[in-house]
Amino acid sequence: MIEEWRLLDTGLHDAFYNMALDEAIAVARSKNLVSNTLRFFRWEPSAISIGYFQSMEEEVDTLACNARGIDYVRRRTGGGAVYHDRDGELTYSLIINQGHSLISKDFQETYETLCSGLVHGLRLLEIQAEFKPINDIIVGGRKISGNAQTRGMNVVHQHGTILLKVDPSLMFTVLKVPNEKIRDKLVKSVEERVTSLNSFLKRDVSFDELKEALVKGFEESFSIRLVTGTLTKSEEQTAAKLKAEKYATNEWNFKR
Amino acid sequence: MGKAQYKVEGGKLIKVQLEIKANKIKKVKITGDFFLHPEELIEELEKAIEGAALNEQILAGHIKAFIKKNEVVLLGASPEDFAKCIVMAGTNND
Repeated sequence: MIEEWRLLDTGLHDAFYNMALDEAIAVARSKNLVSNTLRFFRWEPSAISIGYFQSMEEEVDTLACNARGIDYVRRRTGGGAVYHDRDGELTYSLIINQGHSLISKDFQETYETLCSGLVHGLRLLEIQAEFKPINDIIVGGRKISGNAQTRGMNVVHQHGTILLKVDPSLMFTVLKVPNEKIRDKLVKSVEERVTSLNSFLKRDVSFDELKEALVKGFEESFSIRLVTGTLTKSEEQTAAKLKAEKYATNEWNFKR
Repeated sequence: MGKAQYKVEGGKLIKVQLEIKANKIKKVKITGDFFLHPEELIEELEKAIEGAALNEQILAGHIKAFIKKNEVVLLGASPEDFAKCIVMAGTNND
């Protein structure tokens, strides 16, 4: 019998709910209330997420974000600051029990295994993607996807981004730059180091096309079947609580 | 308050904010885009090196001991990288 995982597409939500829901799914998985899950989601409004260990003040120009209606949130995972554009990026999460055969004790190995589903999915779109340690996926030497993982409650949670289009100058109006003199240089360096599906394929890739390819990529790489499902009541309740009490609070977002 | 940042080659960026007193660490904050598991232990790690001498080898030793004792996994940076950045922040003290 082929293993069945739950597939969720939670659509557009604000940053605080998005991060709360990831944790809520992990909580539900840890209690065995739901099966292993692949979730797709997007951000409305566009938002910045920072890594667990980063300082909000140091990384994010919160005044520029406020002026533009861009949210900012701290993730439960480490890694760097990411600008999540409403229309330029797809985000996924994998929530898997830690005892699963795909999961190694070694984090680096697990990144590579879990990213293999994305790599395979991108290759189905004729993108010669490859995994680049520690936590990136690149194509033609340029980054197209960043990923971050955490573990707890006997659950592995990895989330990450896939870029459909990218606007480096907007990125650096909402992320802090060390000084104004190097702003242009940073924009240029991102233009050189980062790519997106649309610019690589020289056509507009739709979210549906990307999701379909990634579903197939994960199914084939993990030898699983993804079955479209829904959130449970308990996940929705936990997410609402985590949003109000954690991810939407200054205490959490400015804790470092 | 001293500040420094250090990009690990092939790894992540470490940033340190430091208060020192009599060449010992009074308070330290380690931020950056590295990975440390379990995440919540970063604050305990920072506490564990309070009072330690501002010396790269000694600090690396403390951090290694903390990591071993608490079964911490560090990715994208090493205890030596943390120690190096802390000492850099100490020498940037104003």
